Amino acid sequence: MTDRLSLEQRMQTAFAGVVAAYPRDGVLQYCLDESRLPEVARFLHQKLQGRLALLFAIDCRPRTQKYEIHYLFALSSGHPWVLLTVELGGSARLFTSITPSVHAAQWYEREIRDLFGLIPHGHPDQRRLVRHEHWPQGLHPLQKTFPWDKVMGRQQGEYRFRHIEGEGVFEVPVGPIHAGIIEPGHFRFSVAGEPIMQLEVRHFYKHRGIEKLFEQCTLSGALPLAERVSGDTTIGHSLAYCQAVESLLHLQIPRRARYLRSFLLELERLHNHIGDVGAICNDTAYTLAHAHCSRMKEQLMQLNDRLAGSRFLRGTMAIGGLTHDVPATQQTEVIDTLNRIEKDFAELESIIFANASLTDRLETTGVLTERTAWDHGAVGVVGRASGIDYDVRRDRPFAAYDEVPVNTVLYRYGDVRARLRVRMDEIHESIRLIREIRQHIPQGPIIAAVDYMPQPGEWGLSAVESWRGEVLYFVMAGDDGHIHRCKVRDPSFVNWPAIQWAAVGNIIPDFPLINKSFNLSYAGNDL
Amino acid sequence: MFRILKKSLKTGTVTGQYPHTQPLVIRTPGAHKKAAPFKSSLTIREVDTGSCNACEMEMNALTNPVYDVERFGIHIAASPRHADALVVTGPVTVNMEHPLKDVYKQTPHPKLVIALGDCAINCGIFKGSYAVTGPVERHIPVDVRIPGCPPRPVDILEALASIRSLPSPSEE
Repeated sequence: MTDRLSLEQRMQTAFAGVVAAYPRDGVLQYCLDESRLPEVARFLHQKLQGRLALLFAIDCRPRTQKYEIHYLFALSSGHPWVLLTVELGGSARLFTSITPSVHAAQWYEREIRDLFGLIPHGHPDQRRLVRHEHWPQGLHPLQKTFPWDKVMGRQQGEYRFRHIEGEGVFEVPVGPIHAGIIEPGHFRFSVAGEPIMQLEVRHFYKHRGIEKLFEQCTLSGALPLAERVSGDTTIGHSLAYCQAVESLLHLQIPRRARYLRSFLLELERLHNHIGDVGAICNDTAYTLAHAHCSRMKEQLMQLNDRLAGSRFLRGTMAIGGLTHDVPATQQTEVIDTLNRIEKDFAELESIIFANASLTDRLETTGVLTERTAWDHGAVGVVGRASGIDYDVRRDRPFAAYDEVPVNTVLYRYGDVRARLRVRMDEIHESIRLIREIRQHIPQGPIIAAVDYMPQPGEWGLSAVESWRGEVLYFVMAGDDGHIHRCKVRDPSFVNWPAIQWAAVGNIIPDFPLINKSFNLSYAGNDL
Repeated sequence: MFRILKKSLKTGTVTGQYPHTQPLVIRTPGAHKKAAPFKSSLTIREVDTGSCNACEMEMNALTNPVYDVERFGIHIAASPRHADALVVTGPVTVNMEHPLKDVYKQTPHPKLVIALGDCAINCGIFKGSYAVTGPVERHIPVDVRIPGCPPRPVDILEALASIRSLPSPSEE
């Protein structure tokens, strides 16, 4: 509470006349005039070290003829979220860009321009982001007047990549279809000889219109969609969606369900992290470690299948709790498997780090400095490998993490090795957490009944530390149980721009390794 | 060195340690004929046209020591020009429509097209969206469909085995 007051006081002193509101637990909201926004955003970002966590727009039609733009800042641990809200009424189409002072806003503002047709005035980059150049002009899918199933035509157009010109400088285009079994996206390297001078990421090939599809669903009916935003983060996304809706419905989740949610989230983290450790080794051609890791990952996926009937734990989450219980016998089975895997993995770790040629390849490769990570608001594994000490499980505890605290892993070098180390340490930490959850799990119901019908315009916000990092959901209720707006933010969306800087100075053959160490989702980014 | 050997000996053989299932595979009438040249080896190029990446994870799982798809003579190629079969996942998004057609053109004849997962077969949960242009078969001819969201690796294995086995008399 004192934090809240002092934060409010500082805002009051700096900006006379701003009015604070608490629309939701843990959210401090300021409704601002558009002209004051840049200075307030700059103050939050630079003076109070606020990280821009989310920036999104809402088309409030048909209830009111206006757009709202929301800026969500995460301050240091113990502070509530700070939400700045700006309204654009009538026919106004311009809003002031905050990108010049808050770098992390760059993709968000271009996204708003594409999806809503609102123009970020003063944004240094006015190219399209989500809409590729072949989309006809004037189509902005998240406007309420745009039909969700519209069939779009095609036009001619070409994306203008940033060019570096000079003797011996040439460009290497990669993608959208890559050499491995991975998702599509385009990378454009400018190189002089071997080292990369510049990397530009051109994504959104997989844009499936997920946020528009959410708006066609009811609050409870959208859960399968949330599970399929990014398949490898099924629990992360479905849990974040459930929590946002539960906050909207004022639901109290039974304790057992909260414990089981953490249990499942850690299981998801485990199989993904183990797979990533193997994949990083594989990209240095160290296939032995890859074979062992993919074997362990497979064991965990088969365990998931036995627990939930889905190798990705699909269909386990429900609004208010879980769809089915994990009985004690199955918990014991999980613990037995994890005991074996922990020993197995520890042996492999000592083999991996005894290999000098491997560590030589990993060290000082793909360095993302703490400053660059901070400027991009990098989160999750990538952030924690670059000294960004943020973990939703510790800083904004959800599920059972307030009762089963997590030991956050932090490295500062920001290279591939640091990202590998974060994953390895988190594997041990996840196993410890699952054991602890197993010890303390209470008996009781696993789902709470919904007895509240939200008013149109009410909203909920939630953050979950998925295996990749912070997943954010903002859900606003519409008429008769439908969704008016659902903003999804996968950690990949903030980490992709950061990878452009981690690659600079490295050689192209190292890029697959750097990319693997980030291991970002294309599907979660493109939506 | 000894540590590595010890680890390998201790682990033993894990290939084949998975529960077997009876998968559902939907083949077009001519699929067996088209698959005939690939009886002893089949090279696959995987193309993602907008999936949620779960299908990719299961395709990747095929190459792990447990499923070890190479023991059946199935390889994953890095380029469509080396491929006998395209495995396509996901609904075809507006932005991936042209790349998919390009890949199809680049793949030499004779070729098989396998639609993997519900999204590739009928767009799944993304059906109707403005950003989705339709299932794979709207853009390129599909020979084999492997349903599931996502299909388990064992389903994919069995499906690949079944199209390469002898055709049943009714399909001749």
